[in-house]
Amino acid sequence: MKALWVNIDYVASVILFLIGLYAIMAKDNLVKKLMGLNIIETAVFAFVMASGIVDGGDAPILGAGARPPFANPLPQGLILTGIVVALSHTALALSLIIRIYEQYGTIESDDLWGVE
Amino acid sequence: MRRVIALAVLILASVPLMYAVAQLPPIGSVQNPTYTHVVPRYLAEGHEEAGAENIVTAVILNYRGFDTDGEVTVIFTALMSVFAVLLMPRLADKKREEGLPAVPVSPVTYFVVRTLAPFIVMFAIANIAYGHAAPGGGFQGGTIIGALLIATSLVMGSERVGRLLPESIRPWLQPAAVLMFSIVGIAGMFLLGEYLSYPVHGPYVFLRTPFLTLIEIGIALGGAAIVASIFWTMEGSEG
Amino acid sequence: MIRVFDVLLYSLLIACALAVIRTKDLLAAAIIFSTYSLIMCLVWQLRGAPDVAMTEAAVGAGVTTVLFLVTVSRTTRRER
Repeated sequence: MKALWVNIDYVASVILFLIGLYAIMAKDNLVKKLMGLNIIETAVFAFVMASGIVDGGDAPILGAGARPPFANPLPQGLILTGIVVALSHTALALSLIIRIYEQYGTIESDDLWGVE
Repeated sequence: MRRVIALAVLILASVPLMYAVAQLPPIGSVQNPTYTHVVPRYLAEGHEEAGAENIVTAVILNYRGFDTDGEVTVIFTALMSVFAVLLMPRLADKKREEGLPAVPVSPVTYFVVRTLAPFIVMFAIANIAYGHAAPGGGFQGGTIIGALLIATSLVMGSERVGRLLPESIRPWLQPAAVLMFSIVGIAGMFLLGEYLSYPVHGPYVFLRTPFLTLIEIGIALGGAAIVASIFWTMEGSEG
Repeated sequence: MIRVFDVLLYSLLIACALAVIRTKDLLAAAIIFSTYSLIMCLVWQLRGAPDVAMTEAAVGAGVTTVLFLVTVSRTTRRER
Protein backbone atom coordinates (compact mmCIF):
# COMPACT_ATOMS: atom_id res chain seq x y z
CA MET A 1 0.00 0.00 0.00
CA LYS A 2 2.82 2.37 0.83
CA ALA A 3 4.31 1.87 -2.65
CA LEU A 4 0.94 2.76 -4.18
CA TRP A 5 0.67 5.92 -2.07
CA VAL A 6 4.14 7.07 -3.14
CA ASN A 7 3.25 6.50 -6.79
CA ILE A 8 -0.19 8.07 -6.56
CA ASP A 9 0.25 9.74 -9.98
CA TYR A 10 0.70 6.35 -11.62
CA VAL A 11 -2.26 4.93 -9.69
CA ALA A 12 -4.51 7.77 -10.81
CA SER A 13 -3.56 7.27 -14.46
CA VAL A 14 -4.22 3.51 -14.17
CA ILE A 15 -7.69 4.23 -12.76
CA LEU A 16 -8.42 6.71 -15.57
CA PHE A 17 -7.19 4.13 -18.08
CA LEU A 18 -9.60 1.52 -16.68
CA ILE A 19 -12.52 3.99 -16.78
CA GLY A 20 -11.82 4.74 -20.44
CA LEU A 21 -11.49 1.03 -21.20
CA TYR A 22 -14.90 0.44 -19.61
CA ALA A 23 -16.43 3.13 -21.80
CA ILE A 24 -15.01 1.51 -24.91
CA MET A 25 -16.17 -1.98 -23.97
CA ALA A 26 -19.57 -1.38 -22.40
CA LYS A 27 -20.99 1.66 -24.21
CA ASP A 28 -22.98 1.39 -27.42
CA ASN A 29 -22.80 4.97 -28.57
CA LEU A 30 -19.89 5.65 -30.93
CA VAL A 31 -19.33 9.18 -29.57
CA LYS A 32 -19.16 7.73 -26.05
CA LYS A 33 -16.65 5.14 -27.20
CA LEU A 34 -14.51 7.90 -28.69
CA MET A 35 -14.67 9.86 -25.44
CA GLY A 36 -13.49 6.71 -23.67
CA LEU A 37 -10.59 6.47 -26.11
CA ASN A 38 -9.70 10.09 -25.41
CA ILE A 39 -9.75 9.42 -21.65
CA ILE A 40 -7.40 6.47 -22.21
CA GLU A 41 -5.06 8.72 -24.16
CA THR A 42 -4.98 11.39 -21.48
CA ALA A 43 -4.34 8.66 -18.91
CA VAL A 44 -1.34 7.40 -20.89
CA PHE A 45 -0.08 10.96 -21.30
CA ALA A 46 -0.43 11.51 -17.55
CA PHE A 47 1.48 8.26 -16.94
CA VAL A 48 4.40 9.30 -19.16
CA MET A 49 4.39 12.80 -17.70
CA ALA A 50 4.41 11.36 -14.16
CA SER A 51 7.60 9.47 -14.98
CA GLY A 52 9.24 12.83 -15.65
CA ILE A 53 8.20 14.58 -12.44
CA VAL A 54 11.05 15.89 -10.29
CA ASP A 55 10.34 17.01 -6.74
CA GLY A 56 10.53 20.79 -6.67
CA GLY A 57 11.47 20.80 -10.35
CA ASP A 58 11.07 23.98 -12.35
CA ALA A 59 9.96 24.17 -15.95
CA PRO A 60 12.95 23.18 -18.12
CA ILE A 61 13.58 26.69 -19.39
CA LEU A 62 17.14 27.86 -18.89
CA GLY A 63 18.09 31.49 -18.72
CA ALA A 64 18.57 34.08 -16.03
CA GLY A 65 17.36 33.04 -12.61
CA ALA A 66 16.65 29.41 -13.46
CA ARG A 67 18.43 26.82 -11.35
CA PRO A 68 18.17 23.05 -11.13
CA PRO A 69 16.45 20.70 -10.55
CA PHE A 70 14.45 20.96 -13.74
CA ALA A 71 11.49 18.81 -14.71
CA ASN A 72 12.34 16.18 -17.31
CA PRO A 73 12.02 17.79 -20.78
CA LEU A 74 11.96 14.54 -22.78
CA PRO A 75 8.47 13.28 -21.77
CA GLN A 76 7.15 16.81 -22.26
CA GLY A 77 8.38 16.90 -25.86
CA LEU A 78 6.98 13.46 -26.59
CA ILE A 79 3.57 14.24 -25.06
CA LEU A 80 3.37 17.55 -26.91
CA THR A 81 3.61 15.55 -30.12
CA GLY A 82 1.16 12.97 -28.81
CA ILE A 83 -1.54 15.52 -28.00
CA VAL A 84 -1.58 16.78 -31.59
CA VAL A 85 -1.70 13.22 -32.96
CA ALA A 86 -4.63 12.51 -30.60
CA LEU A 87 -6.42 15.56 -32.01
CA SER A 88 -5.94 14.35 -35.59
CA HIS A 89 -7.32 10.88 -35.02
CA THR A 90 -10.22 12.27 -32.99
CA ALA A 91 -11.12 14.54 -35.92
CA LEU A 92 -10.95 11.63 -38.36
CA ALA A 93 -13.08 9.37 -36.15
CA LEU A 94 -15.68 12.10 -35.61
CA SER A 95 -16.01 12.74 -39.34
CA LEU A 96 -16.48 9.00 -39.86
CA ILE A 97 -19.22 9.08 -37.20
CA ILE A 98 -20.94 11.96 -39.04
CA ARG A 99 -20.81 9.94 -42.28
CA ILE A 100 -22.20 6.85 -40.53
CA TYR A 101 -25.11 8.93 -39.22
CA GLU A 102 -25.80 10.44 -42.66
CA GLN A 103 -25.80 6.98 -44.21
CA TYR A 104 -27.61 4.86 -41.61
CA GLY A 105 -29.33 7.33 -39.28
CA THR A 106 -27.85 5.89 -36.11
CA ILE A 107 -24.65 6.05 -34.07
CA GLU A 108 -25.40 3.11 -31.78
CA SER A 109 -23.04 0.26 -32.58
CA ASP A 110 -25.73 -2.36 -31.80
CA ASP A 111 -27.96 -0.99 -34.58
CA LEU A 112 -25.10 -1.12 -37.02
CA TRP A 113 -24.90 -4.94 -36.96
CA GLY A 114 -26.05 -6.27 -40.30
CA VAL A 115 -26.74 -2.95 -42.04
CA GLU A 116 -26.07 -2.96 -45.75
CA MET B 1 -24.50 -8.88 -19.63
CA ARG B 2 -21.93 -6.89 -21.52
CA ARG B 3 -21.38 -4.61 -18.53
CA VAL B 4 -20.69 -7.61 -16.29
CA ILE B 5 -18.11 -8.95 -18.74
CA ALA B 6 -16.56 -5.48 -19.04
CA LEU B 7 -16.31 -5.10 -15.27
CA ALA B 8 -14.77 -8.55 -14.95
CA VAL B 9 -12.18 -7.67 -17.58
CA LEU B 10 -11.41 -4.42 -15.76
CA ILE B 11 -10.89 -6.18 -12.44
CA LEU B 12 -8.68 -8.78 -14.11
CA ALA B 13 -6.68 -6.05 -15.83
CA SER B 14 -6.34 -3.86 -12.76
CA VAL B 15 -4.46 -6.49 -10.71
CA PRO B 16 -1.32 -6.70 -12.89
CA LEU B 17 -1.43 -2.97 -13.61
CA MET B 18 -1.54 -2.04 -9.91
CA TYR B 19 1.14 -4.63 -9.13
CA ALA B 20 3.39 -3.16 -11.83
CA VAL B 21 2.76 0.38 -10.59
CA ALA B 22 3.76 -0.62 -7.06
CA GLN B 23 7.07 -1.96 -8.43
CA LEU B 24 7.98 1.23 -10.30
CA PRO B 25 10.64 3.51 -8.79
CA PRO B 26 9.21 6.33 -6.65
CA ILE B 27 8.18 9.44 -8.54
CA GLY B 28 10.16 12.62 -8.16
CA SER B 29 13.73 11.41 -7.78
CA VAL B 30 16.50 12.67 -10.06
CA GLN B 31 17.92 9.13 -9.99
CA ASN B 32 14.95 7.73 -11.91
CA PRO B 33 15.72 5.84 -15.15
CA THR B 34 13.93 8.40 -17.32
CA TYR B 35 16.25 11.09 -16.01
CA THR B 36 19.58 9.35 -16.45
CA HIS B 37 20.32 8.67 -20.13
CA VAL B 38 20.07 11.63 -22.49
CA VAL B 39 18.28 14.14 -20.28
CA PRO B 40 21.35 15.44 -18.37
CA ARG B 41 23.00 16.25 -21.68
CA TYR B 42 19.84 17.99 -22.97
CA LEU B 43 19.73 20.12 -19.83
CA ALA B 44 23.46 20.85 -19.73
CA GLU B 45 24.14 21.52 -23.41
CA GLY B 46 20.73 22.05 -24.95
CA HIS B 47 21.11 25.78 -24.93
CA GLU B 48 24.47 25.69 -26.73
CA GLU B 49 23.76 22.83 -29.13
CA ALA B 50 20.16 23.47 -30.10
CA GLY B 51 20.02 27.21 -29.73
CA ALA B 52 16.90 27.38 -27.57
CA GLU B 53 16.67 28.22 -23.88
CA ASN B 54 13.37 26.38 -23.64
CA ILE B 55 14.63 22.79 -23.59
CA VAL B 56 11.22 21.44 -24.60
CA THR B 57 11.44 23.45 -27.81
CA ALA B 58 15.01 22.20 -28.28
CA VAL B 59 13.80 18.61 -27.88
CA ILE B 60 10.85 18.80 -30.27
CA LEU B 61 12.53 20.85 -32.98
CA ASN B 62 16.14 19.71 -32.82
CA TYR B 63 16.91 16.54 -30.88
CA ARG B 64 13.61 14.84 -31.79
CA GLY B 65 13.07 16.73 -35.05
CA PHE B 66 12.17 13.60 -37.00
CA ASP B 67 9.34 12.86 -34.56
CA THR B 68 7.92 16.30 -35.11
CA ASP B 69 8.34 16.01 -38.87
CA GLY B 70 6.32 12.78 -38.78
CA GLU B 71 3.76 14.34 -36.47
CA VAL B 72 3.00 17.33 -38.74
CA THR B 73 2.65 14.82 -41.57
CA VAL B 74 0.16 12.88 -39.44
CA ILE B 75 -2.05 15.90 -38.76
CA PHE B 76 -1.90 16.94 -42.43
CA THR B 77 -2.90 13.41 -43.44
CA ALA B 78 -5.75 13.58 -40.93
CA LEU B 79 -7.02 16.75 -42.60
CA MET B 80 -6.85 15.06 -46.02
CA SER B 81 -8.76 12.07 -44.60
CA VAL B 82 -11.44 14.34 -43.15
CA PHE B 83 -11.77 15.93 -46.61
CA ALA B 84 -12.00 12.49 -48.21
CA VAL B 85 -14.64 11.25 -45.76
CA LEU B 86 -16.84 14.33 -45.58
CA LEU B 87 -16.32 16.21 -48.83
CA MET B 88 -16.12 13.59 -51.57
CA PRO B 89 -19.52 11.95 -51.08
CA ARG B 90 -21.13 15.40 -50.88
CA LEU B 91 -19.65 16.45 -54.18
CA ALA B 92 -21.07 13.25 -55.61
CA ASP B 93 -24.70 13.58 -54.55
CA LYS B 94 -25.06 17.28 -53.65
CA LYS B 95 -27.58 16.65 -50.90
CA ARG B 96 -25.89 18.22 -47.87
CA GLU B 97 -27.77 20.53 -45.58
CA GLU B 98 -26.44 24.03 -44.97
CA GLY B 99 -24.16 24.25 -41.95
CA LEU B 100 -25.20 24.12 -38.33
CA PRO B 101 -28.80 24.81 -37.29
CA ALA B 102 -29.09 28.53 -36.79
CA VAL B 103 -29.11 29.24 -33.06
CA PRO B 104 -29.12 32.95 -32.19
CA VAL B 105 -25.82 33.94 -30.56
CA SER B 106 -26.06 35.48 -27.13
CA PRO B 107 -24.88 39.13 -27.20
CA VAL B 108 -22.69 38.41 -24.17
CA THR B 109 -20.82 35.66 -26.02
CA TYR B 110 -20.52 37.86 -29.10
CA PHE B 111 -19.12 40.77 -27.10
CA VAL B 112 -16.68 38.62 -25.12
CA VAL B 113 -15.28 36.88 -28.19
CA ARG B 114 -15.01 40.11 -30.17
CA THR B 115 -13.29 41.92 -27.30
CA LEU B 116 -10.84 39.16 -26.43
CA ALA B 117 -9.88 38.24 -30.00
CA PRO B 118 -7.09 40.85 -30.50
CA PHE B 119 -5.50 39.97 -27.16
CA ILE B 120 -5.62 36.27 -27.99
CA VAL B 121 -3.90 36.98 -31.31
CA MET B 122 -1.23 38.96 -29.50
CA PHE B 123 -0.74 36.17 -26.98
CA ALA B 124 -0.40 33.61 -29.77
CA ILE B 125 2.12 35.71 -31.69
CA ALA B 126 4.17 36.26 -28.53
CA ASN B 127 4.04 32.49 -28.00
CA ILE B 128 5.44 31.84 -31.47
CA ALA B 129 8.05 34.61 -31.35
CA TYR B 130 9.43 33.77 -27.89
CA GLY B 131 8.95 30.00 -28.10
CA HIS B 132 12.70 29.44 -27.89
CA ALA B 133 13.11 31.28 -24.58
CA ALA B 134 9.75 31.11 -22.79
CA PRO B 135 6.91 28.59 -22.46
CA GLY B 136 5.17 28.28 -25.79
CA GLY B 137 6.14 27.69 -29.39
CA GLY B 138 4.79 26.92 -32.80
CA PHE B 139 2.33 24.24 -31.72
CA GLN B 140 0.89 26.27 -28.88
CA GLY B 141 0.59 29.51 -30.84
CA GLY B 142 -0.80 27.71 -33.89
CA THR B 143 -3.48 25.82 -32.02
CA ILE B 144 -4.42 28.97 -30.09
CA ILE B 145 -4.94 30.85 -33.38
CA GLY B 146 -6.88 27.86 -34.74
CA ALA B 147 -9.09 27.79 -31.64
CA LEU B 148 -9.65 31.53 -32.00
CA LEU B 149 -10.72 31.08 -35.64
CA ILE B 150 -13.17 28.40 -34.48
CA ALA B 151 -14.54 30.60 -31.68
CA THR B 152 -15.08 33.57 -34.01
CA SER B 153 -16.68 31.21 -36.56
CA LEU B 154 -19.13 30.12 -33.89
CA VAL B 155 -20.29 33.65 -33.14
CA MET B 156 -19.86 35.38 -36.52
CA GLY B 157 -20.52 32.56 -38.98
CA SER B 158 -17.98 30.52 -40.90
CA GLU B 159 -18.55 32.42 -44.12
CA ARG B 160 -17.26 35.70 -42.71
CA VAL B 161 -14.30 34.20 -40.86
CA GLY B 162 -13.45 31.88 -43.73
CA ARG B 163 -12.74 34.90 -45.91
CA LEU B 164 -9.65 35.51 -43.73
CA LEU B 165 -8.15 32.44 -45.38
CA PRO B 166 -9.13 32.75 -49.07
CA GLU B 167 -9.34 29.65 -51.23
CA SER B 168 -6.24 30.74 -53.13
CA ILE B 169 -3.86 30.59 -50.15
CA ARG B 170 -5.48 27.75 -48.19
CA PRO B 171 -3.75 24.97 -50.14
CA TRP B 172 -0.43 26.62 -49.24
CA LEU B 173 -1.22 27.18 -45.57
CA GLN B 174 -2.53 23.73 -44.77
CA PRO B 175 0.71 21.88 -45.61
CA ALA B 176 2.89 24.79 -44.39
CA ALA B 177 4.47 22.76 -41.58
CA VAL B 178 5.30 19.81 -43.84
CA LEU B 179 6.68 22.11 -46.55
CA MET B 180 8.78 24.08 -44.08
CA PHE B 181 10.24 20.90 -42.58
CA SER B 182 11.11 19.67 -46.06
CA ILE B 183 12.72 22.98 -47.05
CA VAL B 184 14.81 23.23 -43.89
CA GLY B 185 15.60 19.52 -43.99
CA ILE B 186 16.82 19.60 -47.57
CA ALA B 187 18.74 22.82 -46.94
CA GLY B 188 20.46 21.02 -44.07
CA MET B 189 21.15 18.11 -46.41
CA PHE B 190 22.90 20.36 -48.94
CA LEU B 191 24.86 22.36 -46.38
CA LEU B 192 25.76 19.67 -43.85
CA GLY B 193 25.15 16.34 -45.57
CA GLU B 194 22.23 14.94 -43.55
CA TYR B 195 18.48 15.55 -43.70
CA LEU B 196 17.23 17.95 -41.03
CA SER B 197 20.62 18.59 -39.44
CA TYR B 198 21.24 21.92 -37.80
CA PRO B 199 24.63 23.62 -37.88
CA VAL B 200 26.33 23.55 -34.46
CA HIS B 201 29.82 24.72 -35.41
CA GLY B 202 31.42 25.90 -38.59
CA PRO B 203 30.66 28.55 -41.17
CA TYR B 204 26.88 28.06 -41.26
CA VAL B 205 26.21 28.42 -37.55
CA PHE B 206 24.47 31.75 -38.14
CA LEU B 207 21.73 29.81 -39.97
CA ARG B 208 20.64 27.85 -36.89
CA THR B 209 18.29 30.46 -35.43
CA PRO B 210 16.65 31.24 -38.82
CA PHE B 211 16.09 27.51 -39.35
CA LEU B 212 14.38 27.13 -35.97
CA THR B 213 12.30 30.27 -36.55
CA LEU B 214 11.21 29.12 -40.03
CA ILE B 215 10.06 25.75 -38.67
CA GLU B 216 8.23 27.42 -35.77
CA ILE B 217 6.38 29.74 -38.17
CA GLY B 218 5.58 26.84 -40.50
CA ILE B 219 4.19 24.74 -37.65
CA ALA B 220 2.13 27.68 -36.38
CA LEU B 221 0.62 28.55 -39.79
CA GLY B 222 0.01 24.91 -40.66
CA GLY B 223 -1.47 24.10 -37.26
CA ALA B 224 -3.86 27.05 -37.30
CA ALA B 225 -4.99 26.40 -40.89
CA ILE B 226 -5.46 22.65 -40.33
CA VAL B 227 -7.39 23.02 -37.06
CA ALA B 228 -9.71 25.65 -38.53
CA SER B 229 -10.18 23.69 -41.79
CA ILE B 230 -11.11 20.52 -39.89
CA PHE B 231 -13.78 22.51 -38.03
CA TRP B 232 -15.14 24.18 -41.16
CA THR B 233 -15.31 20.88 -43.03
CA MET B 234 -17.06 19.05 -40.21
CA GLU B 235 -19.46 21.91 -39.66
CA GLY B 236 -20.58 21.82 -43.26
CA SER B 237 -19.14 24.82 -45.02
CA GLU B 238 -16.61 23.75 -47.63
CA GLY B 239 -13.09 23.14 -46.26
CA MET C 1 0.29 19.25 2.22
CA ILE C 2 1.04 19.23 -1.49
CA ARG C 3 -0.01 15.56 -1.56
CA VAL C 4 -3.47 16.52 -0.32
CA PHE C 5 -3.87 18.90 -3.25
CA ASP C 6 -2.69 16.20 -5.68
CA VAL C 7 -5.22 13.75 -4.28
CA LEU C 8 -7.95 16.38 -4.62
CA LEU C 9 -7.09 17.07 -8.28
CA TYR C 10 -6.89 13.39 -9.13
CA SER C 11 -10.24 12.69 -7.45
CA LEU C 12 -11.76 15.51 -9.49
CA LEU C 13 -10.29 13.95 -12.64
CA ILE C 14 -11.70 10.52 -11.81
CA ALA C 15 -15.09 12.04 -10.94
CA CYS C 16 -15.15 13.90 -14.27
CA ALA C 17 -14.21 10.74 -16.19
CA LEU C 18 -16.96 8.78 -14.45
CA ALA C 19 -19.45 11.59 -15.17
CA VAL C 20 -18.47 11.58 -18.85
CA ILE C 21 -19.32 7.90 -19.23
CA ARG C 22 -22.43 8.04 -16.98
CA THR C 23 -24.13 11.02 -18.66
CA LYS C 24 -26.81 10.15 -21.20
CA ASP C 25 -26.81 13.63 -22.72
CA LEU C 26 -23.93 13.75 -25.20
CA LEU C 27 -23.77 17.57 -25.11
CA ALA C 28 -23.27 17.53 -21.35
CA ALA C 29 -20.72 14.74 -21.72
CA ALA C 30 -18.71 16.86 -24.16
CA ILE C 31 -18.71 19.82 -21.74
CA ILE C 32 -17.64 17.59 -18.83
CA PHE C 33 -14.89 16.22 -21.04
CA SER C 34 -13.69 19.79 -21.55
CA THR C 35 -13.57 20.25 -17.76
CA TYR C 36 -11.61 17.02 -17.50
CA SER C 37 -9.02 18.33 -19.97
CA LEU C 38 -8.78 21.62 -18.09
CA ILE C 39 -8.09 19.86 -14.77
CA MET C 40 -5.49 17.70 -16.50
CA CYS C 41 -3.89 20.89 -17.81
CA LEU C 42 -3.79 22.27 -14.25
CA VAL C 43 -2.03 19.10 -13.05
CA TRP C 44 0.64 19.48 -15.71
CA GLN C 45 1.13 23.17 -15.05
CA LEU C 46 1.79 22.33 -11.39
CA ARG C 47 4.31 19.68 -12.43
CA GLY C 48 6.61 22.09 -14.26
CA ALA C 49 5.29 21.48 -17.79
CA PRO C 50 3.83 24.80 -18.97
CA ASP C 51 4.31 23.92 -22.66
CA VAL C 52 2.25 20.75 -22.40
CA ALA C 53 -0.35 22.47 -20.22
CA MET C 54 -0.80 25.21 -22.81
CA THR C 55 -1.20 22.72 -25.63
CA GLU C 56 -3.66 20.63 -23.63
CA ALA C 57 -5.72 23.73 -22.80
CA ALA C 58 -5.91 24.78 -26.46
CA VAL C 59 -6.27 21.33 -28.03
CA GLY C 60 -7.96 19.15 -25.41
CA ALA C 61 -10.26 21.66 -23.76
CA GLY C 62 -10.79 23.84 -26.82
CA VAL C 63 -10.60 22.21 -30.22
CA THR C 64 -11.50 18.62 -29.31
CA THR C 65 -14.55 19.80 -27.36
CA VAL C 66 -15.76 21.94 -30.27
CA LEU C 67 -15.33 19.00 -32.65
CA PHE C 68 -17.40 16.82 -30.30
CA LEU C 69 -20.05 19.56 -30.15
CA VAL C 70 -20.18 19.79 -33.96
CA THR C 71 -20.61 16.02 -34.17
CA VAL C 72 -23.39 16.07 -31.57
CA SER C 73 -25.19 18.87 -33.41
CA ARG C 74 -24.95 17.04 -36.72
CA THR C 75 -25.99 13.64 -35.39
CA THR C 76 -28.05 13.08 -32.26
CA ARG C 77 -27.88 14.41 -28.73
CA ARG C 78 -29.37 11.51 -26.78
CA GLU C 79 -27.54 8.33 -26.02
CA ARG C 80 -29.88 5.38 -26.01
